[in-house]
Amino acid sequence: MDLKAAVLTAALVFGATAGTAPATLQAATPERVKVTGEVIDSWCYLTEIMYPEGSAHHLCAVWCAAGGIPVGIKGDDGQVYFVLKTGSDTQNVANPGVLEIQSHKVTVDGDLYTRDGLNYLLISEVVSDEGIVNLTHDEYGIQPFGD
Amino acid sequence: MRIVRTIAGTALALIAATSVAQGAESWGLPGEEIVRFEAKVVDVLCELSGDCPANCGEGKRQLGLVNDDGKLILPLKNQVPFAGAADEPIDFCAKRVVADGLMVTNKGYTFMALQFVREAPDGPWRRANRFQNKWAERNGVAPDSDAASQWFYNDPRVEDVIARDGKLGLGPKADEDYAKKQ
Repeated sequence: MDLKAAVLTAALVFGATAGTAPATLQAATPERVKVTGEVIDSWCYLTEIMYPEGSAHHLCAVWCAAGGIPVGIKGDDGQVYFVLKTGSDTQNVANPGVLEIQSHKVTVDGDLYTRDGLNYLLISEVVSDEGIVNLTHDEYGIQPFGD
Repeated sequence: MRIVRTIAGTALALIAATSVAQGAESWGLPGEEIVRFEAKVVDVLCELSGDCPANCGEGKRQLGLVNDDGKLILPLKNQVPFAGAADEPIDFCAKRVVADGLMVTNKGYTFMALQFVREAPDGPWRRANRFQNKWAERNGVAPDSDAASQWFYNDPRVEDVIARDGKLGLGPKADEDYAKKQ
């Protein structure tokens, strides 16, 4: 058993560890999932401040990802998943690789943690990347400023 | 499209206007509520999975706020256009802060826009706009320059992606074809 596993086990047995709230333990076991959906900018999508999907929103999605706004996947199941890890890469603020796949339709395998109503996804593998298939610019222009 | 521009422009103007206020203000978002609460700053990935690098990942990881009820709150936004909140409470990793901003509940999800933060209980307030200074420092421009305030038009990472994929993400020719139709 490695150190991390040992700490988690001790926490489960004793209820808490120094600096670790019980709520941490509640979410300690992830669910293995496969998610298919569009890579989105979570802020624009969830606040609806502009049209937030597909090619119309690609420019803004790149801006927001570079600005460190959490990147999500809008799943075909209607759920929003916040991406916290991609493979072994744990940078989830302005990750250069994630910047490259904004607005793409992807299928990913990973571990899902659900805590306090939000879905957090640790991607193990990008199974497929179809690129941008949601062509919305003819209807919605280029968000947010139109050019 | 004109309506979309107006809404986006209004939202950006509201964000800018809030930067001179002394407490959180409405941004006119659906399901928003002005809030101020104490919480502990955590690295979200660490909090969930136990993968915990030093100092909350040194700015490379999303930061969350665990309130006194043990609820993990995710700030999505700060006060700088098109920028997230990870730069704002990083100096308070694993410490308690007072967070001031908007709690937004929409589409079935609750998240936060962080407008001000201070170390609890009574540290000096900071506007949640440190991203701009850090971006300016990384890119060798003055923090109050036009280049920094409109960082998204000047970011080399963005420029590289858009030069290759186009604004629509479909390649430069798709941008040209789209422009011809306008």
